Amino acid sequence: MTTASNLLAFLGLVVTLLIVWRQSWPARLRLFAAQSLLLAALASTVGVLAQRRGLVLVAAVVIVVKGLVIPRVLARIGSGAPVRPIAPGRSSGITLLVAGGLVVAAYVIMLPVTSSVELPTEGAIPLAFAMALIGLALCVTGRDALGHILGFLVFENGIFGLAILATYGLPGIVEAGVFLDVLVIVLIMEAVVVQVRREHDSIDVDRLRELRG
Amino acid sequence: MTRLAYGSVILIGIAAAGLGGYGVAGGAGTLRLTWLVPLGGIELTLDPLGGLFLALIGLAVVPASVYALGYPDGDTGRFAYFVFVASMCVVPLAANTMTFLIAWELMSLASYFLVLRDRESRESIRAAWVYAVMTHAGLACLLAGMLLLGADVGSPRFADWRAAASALAPTTRDAAFVLLALGFAGKAGVIPLHVWLPLAHPAAPSHVSALMSGVMIKLGIYGLLRVSLDWLGVGPPWWGAALLIAGAASSVIGVLYALVEHDLKRLLAFHSIENIGIILLGIGSAALYRVAGLDALALLGLIAALYHTVNHAAFKALLFLGAGAVVHATGTRNMEAMGGLIKRMPWTAACFLIGSAAIAALPPLNGFVSEWLTFLALFQNMRLESVGQNLVFTLGIASLALTGGLAMACFVKAFGITFLALPRSDAAAGAHEASPPMRLAMLALAAACVALGLGPTLVVPVFGAVAAAVLRTAPQATGGDWLTLRVSGEFASLSTAAIAVVLAASFLVPLAALRLVGASRRTRGYETWGCGRIVQTARMEYTATAFANPFKRVFDFFYRPTKRLDIEFHPESRFFVERIEYENPTRSIFDDWLYRPALDLLHAGARAVGALQSGSANQYLAYILVALLLMLVLA
Repeated sequence: MTTASNLLAFLGLVVTLLIVWRQSWPARLRLFAAQSLLLAALASTVGVLAQRRGLVLVAAVVIVVKGLVIPRVLARIGSGAPVRPIAPGRSSGITLLVAGGLVVAAYVIMLPVTSSVELPTEGAIPLAFAMALIGLALCVTGRDALGHILGFLVFENGIFGLAILATYGLPGIVEAGVFLDVLVIVLIMEAVVVQVRREHDSIDVDRLRELRG
Repeated sequence: MTRLAYGSVILIGIAAAGLGGYGVAGGAGTLRLTWLVPLGGIELTLDPLGGLFLALIGLAVVPASVYALGYPDGDTGRFAYFVFVASMCVVPLAANTMTFLIAWELMSLASYFLVLRDRESRESIRAAWVYAVMTHAGLACLLAGMLLLGADVGSPRFADWRAAASALAPTTRDAAFVLLALGFAGKAGVIPLHVWLPLAHPAAPSHVSALMSGVMIKLGIYGLLRVSLDWLGVGPPWWGAALLIAGAASSVIGVLYALVEHDLKRLLAFHSIENIGIILLGIGSAALYRVAGLDALALLGLIAALYHTVNHAAFKALLFLGAGAVVHATGTRNMEAMGGLIKRMPWTAACFLIGSAAIAALPPLNGFVSEWLTFLALFQNMRLESVGQNLVFTLGIASLALTGGLAMACFVKAFGITFLALPRSDAAAGAHEASPPMRLAMLALAAACVALGLGPTLVVPVFGAVAAAVLRTAPQATGGDWLTLRVSGEFASLSTAAIAVVLAASFLVPLAALRLVGASRRTRGYETWGCGRIVQTARMEYTATAFANPFKRVFDFFYRPTKRLDIEFHPESRFFVERIEYENPTRSIFDDWLYRPALDLLHAGARAVGALQSGSANQYLAYILVALLLMLVLA
């Protein structure tokens, strides 16, 4: 079980780093779907090995909501945007460096946790936490509204992974609430982004500065 | 509707006076509604000190509301007035933090709206703004102090604080004292937290200013009494010394500002600061004597403070009501435009004169008795051993003496310029007497001033019982018979009734003697001698500016007056003058050296912090990430 969870969480982190690296929107979207599927696999693995049937059900919901529905909505949002929002000459090198730093930070922060619990999944906890932190960093560096949404979703995935690894999943009602939240947020963001694009002909975050009072 | 509102407020006042009187007489009671609000719920307790202040509120509310019935624009702000009075009545009864703070804040908010009566005028908007800022800064201090105490004692109830006070750590107790005393001193208008008072009092309608000055700032005194003598137990000597020094500063500085003020209501507001200072002198001496174990003297100091609290409520409410009648009759608050009102408003003038004599501490009126008691409490400092404390007392004595003299001068000006001589403006010439309800209210308060002055032998034992309940000692500090008040054994004695008889006799006996010897009783009316000039005009009169000028020169290190002289020469020759305009406004030390730098610092800080607010969404998100990381790493 340790090997399986470690491997899946590691792959999740690799996918997260790939999201940071890639700049083309369809590619990032595919990577996000892949990450969600990896988390679903992680959830079902933990569910089977720790004999929690609920987790398998959760994995199924993840596949449907985060693997299919949300990517589809995101694709719809991004359909009008240029494929590469970043201006030429700006690479994602620095962001990758920051992401690497956050992985180290995640290990440092989670050190007291991993040294105090005796779970078979403890080795993967910092990896999931690093996913969450990198998701936040994606939000910070996002050049447009799509980047923010993606960062938020990655962040949420990291938290979800953390919950699975540290406590073998949350109570069903909480889990359901979170999924609903994420779905609603994405739908609201779709409406907002469409509105912003209609007003400003762009979803570049820098344009939001004009709103300052 | 107006009648209903003020009528119900009068009923509240009567009920409060009755309930308060019951509390003063030793009655006690508790009302608990724990389900209503969290953190201890509503809890009201009647005890002698709370009862005294409740009775004071009730007795001041009745004449102020009667006055409001006759006040020309009394129908604005009725609801705020109702809330104001009701919340004031709850404050002295509150028995836990939640109840107290709710009532306190309601009182502040309601009075804020009353100050902001005129929503068009810049002046009253500024007054209300300064008032709101100061009162909420005070509230923040109170909240911090009460939460600190509550957390340390483990209970929001005042009775538990009292029981646990002696077991508290000294640093906690000192911190709580400083925070609570600052909060209450802000409401009481102690220097240098007084800035809101001279702005807010004139802006409010007169019956409201009478209540704000007569009663609301007394609730600051109530809080200071609770903090320095009751909730926190017997504190270190520096608490009492701090109160004494604050009192000395407030009394002298308050009266100095009042002297150069020509706005009648602002002048009265500054006198409120002065009288708060005098009350603080009594409280401070009580606290110091209590630490030294001199219970009888502590009792005397507290009696003096309580007596002056009640007296000030009586004569200051009277003066504000009188000033309101004058301001309404003349349409201005500027004394330089008044004059000659004694002939047009004899009732108001008589009442104002009684109030002026009382506040200037002339025997046999009430101000004299309480200031005399304060003096006696201060004079007996020789029974203390500490040289430092004796020096503080000396400072108190000196400032009280100076204050008395300057207050006298100030009310010579206030009464003389306002009511005597010829009218200085058309408005003053066309003034009319106040309406009957207003006169009734003023007469009632004038009667209270006289009664409190003539009956100290009846009143002092009542204050003695309240003070003894606060200090938890035997109620014996003064004695004497029905005619004479005897203080500290044979230390001093006073009989205001005898003084009144002597004063009356010195006036009546010569008249009777003249009558006896058959002097001519014919009175001759003639113009005042005008140095040989034929035409007498109001322009030849003494002005308030001229009256205050000598004081401005003597205390110019304090006033820092600036001079502005505008001369318009005759076009033909510079030897002839068309018009001269002279002004020498003073500059406030506290505005220039305390509030201005503090505000500048605040603005600079706000600008520096404003850089955080860049408008970039990425930056805001980065704050979240950095804060999260910091919290996780540091936690």
